[in-house]
Parts: sequence; C-alpha cells; structure tokens
Amino acid sequence: MPIFYSHIIHVFFCQSMLNPSSTQAHDIYALFQSFHIAAFGMLALIIFLSFFISIKYRKKKNDDSIPKQTTGNKTLEVFMISIPTLLLIYFFYQSFNVMKAVEPAVAGDATPDIIITGHQFWWDANYTNSKVVTANEIHLPAGKKILLELRAADVIHSFWVPELGNKMDMIPGKPNFIYLDIDKPGSYAGLCSEFCGAEHAWMRMDIVAQNEKDYADWLAQNSTDATLPKDSLAMEGSEIFQTGTCASCHRIRGTNSLGVVGPDLTHFDSRKKMLGGMMNVDSMNIYKWISDPQKVKPGSKMPDFIFNKDTLQALTAYLLQLK
Amino acid sequence: MSEKNIIPEPQQSLPNTNVSNDQGLLQWISSVDHKQIGIMYLLMALLFFIVGGAFALLMRVQLAVPNNHFLSPETYNQLFTMHGTTMIFFVLMPAIFGFSVYFTPLMIGANEMAFPRLNAFSLWMTFFGGLILYFSFAAGGAPDAGWFNYAPLNEHNYSSSKGIDYYCLGLLLSGIGSLTTAINLIVTVLHYRIKGMRLNKLPLFVWMVFVNAFLIVAALPALNAALSMLILDRQFDAHFFTAAGGSALLWQHLFWLFGHPEVYIVVLPAFGIYSEVFPVFSGKPIFGYNIVAASSVAIALLAFGVWMHHMFAVGSGLVVNSFFSASSMLIGIPTGIKIFNWLATMYGGKIRFTVSMLFAIAFLIEFTIGGLTGIAFSIVPIDWQLTDTYYVVAHLHYVFIGGSVFGMMCGLFYWFPKMTGRMLNEKLGKWFFWLFVIGFNATFFVQHILGILGMARRVYTYPDYKWYGLLNFISTVGAMLMGVAGLLLVYIIFKGLRKGKKAPADPWDGFTLEWTTSSPPGLKNFDTITEVTGRRPLWDLKHPDMRDKM
Amino acid sequence: MKLLVGTEAMFFLSLIMAFIYLSVIAGYVPAEQNALNITSTGIFSIFLVASSGTFMLAERGYKKSNIKSMKVWLIVTIVLAIIFLFGQGKEYVHLIHAEQITISSSLFGTSFFTLTGFHGLHVFIGIILLSILLIMAFLGDFKKPGSNLLSTAGIYWHFVDIVWIVVFTVVYVLPKFNLIK
Repeated sequence: MPIFYSHIIHVFFCQSMLNPSSTQAHDIYALFQSFHIAAFGMLALIIFLSFFISIKYRKKKNDDSIPKQTTGNKTLEVFMISIPTLLLIYFFYQSFNVMKAVEPAVAGDATPDIIITGHQFWWDANYTNSKVVTANEIHLPAGKKILLELRAADVIHSFWVPELGNKMDMIPGKPNFIYLDIDKPGSYAGLCSEFCGAEHAWMRMDIVAQNEKDYADWLAQNSTDATLPKDSLAMEGSEIFQTGTCASCHRIRGTNSLGVVGPDLTHFDSRKKMLGGMMNVDSMNIYKWISDPQKVKPGSKMPDFIFNKDTLQALTAYLLQLK
Repeated sequence: MSEKNIIPEPQQSLPNTNVSNDQGLLQWISSVDHKQIGIMYLLMALLFFIVGGAFALLMRVQLAVPNNHFLSPETYNQLFTMHGTTMIFFVLMPAIFGFSVYFTPLMIGANEMAFPRLNAFSLWMTFFGGLILYFSFAAGGAPDAGWFNYAPLNEHNYSSSKGIDYYCLGLLLSGIGSLTTAINLIVTVLHYRIKGMRLNKLPLFVWMVFVNAFLIVAALPALNAALSMLILDRQFDAHFFTAAGGSALLWQHLFWLFGHPEVYIVVLPAFGIYSEVFPVFSGKPIFGYNIVAASSVAIALLAFGVWMHHMFAVGSGLVVNSFFSASSMLIGIPTGIKIFNWLATMYGGKIRFTVSMLFAIAFLIEFTIGGLTGIAFSIVPIDWQLTDTYYVVAHLHYVFIGGSVFGMMCGLFYWFPKMTGRMLNEKLGKWFFWLFVIGFNATFFVQHILGILGMARRVYTYPDYKWYGLLNFISTVGAMLMGVAGLLLVYIIFKGLRKGKKAPADPWDGFTLEWTTSSPPGLKNFDTITEVTGRRPLWDLKHPDMRDKM
Repeated sequence: MKLLVGTEAMFFLSLIMAFIYLSVIAGYVPAEQNALNITSTGIFSIFLVASSGTFMLAERGYKKSNIKSMKVWLIVTIVLAIIFLFGQGKEYVHLIHAEQITISSSLFGTSFFTLTGFHGLHVFIGIILLSILLIMAFLGDFKKPGSNLLSTAGIYWHFVDIVWIVVFTVVYVLPKFNLIK
C-alpha cells in the first residue's frame, strides 16, 4: 500500500483495525484487505448481472411471445460451482496460515507476562513479574513479544484491542492466552466485545504501549506502595476508606484495604480514565461517582452509600492523591 | 394414499365441512383449516413484527448520538434481547410456517394438511409461547441477556429477574409448536401429493419446506434440551452452566447446534418462494432445478457442521477452528450457487416488474452482501477482529432481512390475491418497496463500517469517536424510513383487504397448482385436478403443445 | 411417530453429550460415580428390556387376532415398566438420602438426575400410552385387525428402551472401565 493511503487511514480511522499496530494485527489486516477486494469484485458482478439482465430482458409492451423455455446448462453450472470453490480454497489456505501465525499453540508451562481478568464492567491487570496490579489502563512493552493470560471473574467477557489484532473471549473456568507483538509506543483503545450485562458498553480500557525504558519506569513507579496522605482532608478520607466498607472491596497496597472485588486503587490517580472509560479521573467526577454510583453507572457493582458532603470531599481528596 | 384418488381427503375429515363459511371470530379460533391457520400465522407474524420493529426503532433512537441517555442500560438490554428473540422466533418462524401450511397442500394438490388438529395445536402453542415471553414485561422484567442468552449471564446470580425463565418457557412452547408443524409438513408432503407428482416434480417451494422440516426436526431438540437444562439451573440450582462446576461453553455449543441451522430454517422457505417467483415473472422454468433442489439438501446437512463458527473467539485451537472454518466456507457454495441459478432463470426471459419480483431481484443483491460478509466470518482471523461488532449486526440483518424478510414480502405480494381474493395496490407497493429497500440499506450498510471501526454490538451507548456519531445517525434515519415503510405496508394490506380489486384465479399467469383453484380457495381446495406430468402443472395445462419434458 | 422419535433422539443426544462433556471438564468428582449401584440398576434394566419383548408378544397376539393374549402381554409390559420406574425411584431415594447427592449438590448430580429423570419421564408417558391402549382393548376397539395404533406405540416404546440402553452404558458401564473419566 502506498504511504499516502496508509496515512489517510491513520488520520481518518484511528483506533480501529484499519490501523494495525502489532505483528498479529498486520497479518489479519492483510487478509482482511485481500478478502474484501475479492468480495467487492463478486458483489459488483452480481449487481451488474442483476441490473443488466433486468433491463435487457424486461417485458416490453405488447410483446406476448413466449420466451425460450430453457431449464439448465451443464457447462455453466459447472463453472458456477467451481469458481467459488477455487476462491474459497485459496482463502482457506490464507486463513490457515494467518491463524497459525497469530494464535500459535501455547505451551502448557508458559508463564504469562500479564494476567488480565474481566470483571463485570472493568479490567484487572496483574503483572506476574512484579507487584503491580492495576485496572482499566494497562501498560504494555512495545517491540517485544508478550503473552497475556485472559480470565473471567464472573460472566464471559472478550478482550479486544482493534489495533492490536485478534479478540479473545474470557471464559469463567477456562483461561485463554494471546500473544502480542506491538510495533510502536502509543495509546490503543480496547473494549469488551462479548455482551456481559448492564454496563457492557462501558467496559473499555486503554492500552498504553511504551518503549523499554518508559515501561520499566512505569513498572517501578507502580510497584511501590500507595503514597500516604499528607493534608488533613486526605488523611480524614483515608481513615474513612480504611474503616468503612470501601476496604472490603478495594485494595490500596500499603494500607489495610485488601479487597479484591473492585478495581485496585493503589495508584488510582496515575490513570487517565475511570469507570471503564466512562469519564476522566478528576475531582468532580470522583465526587459525582461516589455520591451516587447507581445513577452515574446504573448496574455497576458499586453499591449506593449515603455519605454526607464532608465525607465525600474527604474521600475525593484521598483518592486524588493516590498518584 | 395419493395413488388411490385424484384429490386425497385427510383421514380425519374436517369437523366443520358442513358449516357455513362465516362464523366470525369463533370459527377462526377453533379452525383446523390449513388456510385459516396459515393466515393466522401470518397475522401473528405481522403483530410481532410491529412490536419487534418498534423495539428496534427505540434502540436506534438511543444510538442516534453518542453518550445518549434516552434509555437506561437495563431497558436497552431488555429491548435488544426482546427484539432478537421476537424477530426470530415469533416473526420469521410464524411467517414461514404461515406460508408453508397455507401453500404446501395447495401446491401439491391436497385438500388439507395430514393432521389438521395438530396443525391448530402448533399454531396456538407458538402463539402462547409468544404471549408467555411477553408476559415477562409484567412479571418484573424482560429477559436481558441477548437472544442467544449466553451462560453464565443467563444464570440466577447475574440475571435475577424472572425474564429469562419466561424466555425458556416461551421458547420451549413455541419450539414444540415448530416441531409438530415440521412433522405435519413432512407427512403431508410424503402422503398427500396429487397423482403424478413425484418427489422430483415438487414445486421448489414445497421442496424447500420439506427439506426445512427435517432441519427443524433435527435442530430444535438441541435448543429444547438447553432450555430445559437452564430451567433446572435457575429453578433447582443445578450446575449445567454455572461457574461452580458447570461449563459456560456447553450452552454455546448446544445453542449454536440449534442456532446455526435455525438461520437456514428461516431462509430456506424464503429461497423456495424466490424459486417460485423468479420463474413465473420471467416466464421461464427455473434454471437448474436439480442443482437448486440438491443444494438445499447440502445446506441442510452442512448446517449441522458449522455451529462453532459462532465461537471462533473462545480459544479452541487451530484444528477445531480450521475444521469449522472449512465447513462454513463449504456451506457458502450451495448457498452462492443459487444466486446464479436465479440470475440465469431471469436471463432470456420476459421479466415483469411486479412488487413481488422487485423484492426478489433486490434480494439477489442484498443477500449477496450478507453472504459475502458471512464468508468473511468463516475466515477465522477476520472473524477474530470482527465478531461481536456491528459488522455482525450488519451481516445478520442482511441475511435475515435481505434473505428472509424480503422473501416474506415477495411471497406476500405474490400470494395475497390467492389468500384473500383481492389484489394489493401495486403502485403503493412500489412505494413501499423503495422506501423499505433504501431505509434498509441506509440502516445496515453503514453498520459494516461501524464494526470495522471497532464499535462492539449490544452497547447501549458509545464514546464520541471519529465517525461514530455520523454513521450511527445515518443508521437511525434509515431505521426511521423502514419504520415508515412498515406503517405503509400495514396500510396497503388493510386497504387491499377492504377495497382491493377482485383477484382472478390466476392473476400472475402462474405455473403451479394453487392458481388452478378460485381466489380465495373454498374450504375444500380442489374438486379435481388432472394428473400432473411435469414440474409446472399449470403451464402444461395452458400450453399443451409445449409441455415440460421430464 | 418415527419423526417424533427422531426428534426425541436428538433431544437425548444433546443431554447425553452434555453428560459426557461435563464429565471431562474440571470440577467433576468421579468418586460420586461409585455411589451408583450398577448391579441393582442392571437388574431393573433387564425388566425394561424385557418389557420391549413382551410388547412384541402383544403385537403378535394382535396380528393373530388373539385379543386375549394381546391384553395379557400389554398388562405384563406395563407391570415391567412400573417395576423399572420403582427401581429408579429407589435409587433416587438412596442417592438423595444416603449419599446426599441432589441435582444442585454437584455437577454429577445435575447431569445424572437430568438425564435419567427425562428418561424416566418418557417411561412414564409410555406407561400412560400403553394404559390407554389397554383400556381401548378392553373397550373392544381392537376387535378388527388392521389398526396401526399398536405398532405406532411400539416404535415409541422400543425407542424409550433403546435410549435406556445407551444411557445405562454411558452413565453406569463406561465409567467403570474409565472410558470416560
């Protein structure tokens, strides 16, 4: 493809499979293109024939003659069957090669670099080689082949980052694996693509691909324990968080909050977005969210609490300093 | 048996043969006449079509702009579940059964179905199945896990309203209704054909209905079994599909073992209708009868070997995926050939552009689009990218609407005169055709692009990405056009019923036996018919010098 | 009737596949399999298989216009079927009370009770069907030869029987030889 064309694609269709950014996605995209060229050819043929035959053989006024009563033509029928068959054999062969390249068998003892678990309406990422656990904003190294293990905590989800290639279902009780080989650093939008309940639409994630150094820095930064609150408001928030019900669902490393039902909040404020991509992390959104979760994201697993204004402000301040 | 007399009467004679023909509503409810039952099936389909269509419009309004709050996520999820379930089980299925039970006896020269009372039983089972499904709205919430209702989202802890229990019961009832109809159709075709009509001389519509009935008999039990297991899970805490021990994938296997044949179940009779309409309005016999007939059998057999192409993303490994990829491509061949058969039927004919024929021609193009995107999904890597996106939504609507619904419209405009004795207004019909076709393509063609751009299906809203807003808005406008077209159709039908021109027995210069009797046929379809010698009995009668050679 | 049997066969095929499928995945406790008493169920199974034979004798009686022999063999068939159901009931009681296995207790319980339960239901329907035939016979409906009612019911009855042989093999016999885990 000419550079110009791919540039247009990039400008107009970013965040889609038309802008492949991993080895796997490139393979699939090439197949996608060749198939759609053939498909458009076939469609054009049918459209042409439909119009051509309709116009040429329309019944003219006052023409009551009886058309020739043909019932078949062996040669034509053979062509009708063999040409599509040959085309399909070709695409099967191509498809087989790409399948083998994109989803090779995973050895039984292979250790995944990251375990990603789908929960109703958010993603949990557990980095096996470090202490890092994060949610919804998943950092991955670029230029390196990595293995992801995909699990589900409740119902079936599906892990899909269009720019990075194939999607893979996350099925309770059946871990799945995918390999990724990301081209270049950048931010890629991902989403759940198997209907998983009320807030399926807001189960999105950001994949941040980084070069080796940035990735190492990020890992180092995120494997530390949570920063301790300094100002009094945040300290008050921390107190409420640790002693209230928050701690039974959320984890903040370095504190008594050890819950694993909801997202890990240790470095909450280092993320750009919250609630599965629904809104940005800022004080107004956090305040709105914890004051009435079921109104902001109806169907999510965060229950409604009755907090007064001061509590809300304290909690917001605490969460905002979890860099 | 068909050899004994010219017009076989069913063994259980009609209870109301001597009763006058007009007893009002009671006569309809208690009817065992295949024509009245056929019409009631079609009315039921129309009723649910309006409801299901209204759901679709509500969904499109919600999706018209990004981050919309017109519907709550819970409502939206119930709507799309009910839309899918309704359209498949209570619109397309009753519609194909309506045409099947009305015209199968007429086209094979019989006076009734083999088991008239069973026929009525099937209709009411299907209808009450639909009512039970809809009763869920009153009982605390409609099902909300999608029409294919994946486990474990369909389990108690993830969907605690009663909706899915009603889903199970409703589909079980209608499933039993479908099974009995299928058995009824098979026996009718086997035992009640007119003398001389051997199986290889069946009109193609009847042939497809016949093949289809076998497909139903073999496919529906898998669904019934899955539904029974789900009821046990939900009501008795069994563990078929639960996370605690059971298998979520088992549901998918069972569901698609039924679900993929189901797609062919609703499209084969439509193929049959096209195979009647193309020849009649081209003034020629079908091109390659044997290929069309044999390819239907091939489809029916292959349909059971392709279910896992709905599950390429579950991580089954290279061998399994390759097998189902190959079988899915294979099933594309018998489906694709038919398009060429129909084109070749038109070639060299004298084509009359009635509304029915327009729908048939439009079908060729729309179904090709649906078929080609279907092939895209059999190419596993493309499926990995595009499954569960709007590309699938576009694909399945091109198949269901472009294939089945166009077939129903085609059949409606073709057979309405026969069923009611009145003609539909062709001019209004053409308006309807263009509105519907333009609306349909506007709605669904852009959804291919949305899918490629990464929009997942079954989302109640979406972020404001590039093009998402615009494309979705176009789609919504298209859906509104289809809505207007739907209203126009209802108007056309009612106008046709009240004021339509009286229809002669054979308004289209048809080929098959149903056009030999009056429009509408009397309670007893035929008195006598001469022995059938060819595939186009009526043509042979009209043109004794140009009889079809067999 | 053949078609009905065909569709029922597909139904059972689905259930049996589910049983096998569930038995090879994780979470299945093979030990519970041992709670089944293969000998006693085997004996009760013989009653069911025998009932197919006695039904055939009833049919033969009808063909020879020997209505009395037909009635007798029908009664024997029904009794054998009831004995089979009694045996199944006994096993259920044993499993539920002595072994604490219920439909909701484990995966094995779920698939076992569903599969055998649906079969039992079919035996029960068969008994009703046969009883109707018997009543008709006593009312004198079978005095004339040429009715195919009996042979039609026969298709169903033999089918129920064959299904049981398959179910018995899959649920009781194969696990003994570790053919399925």
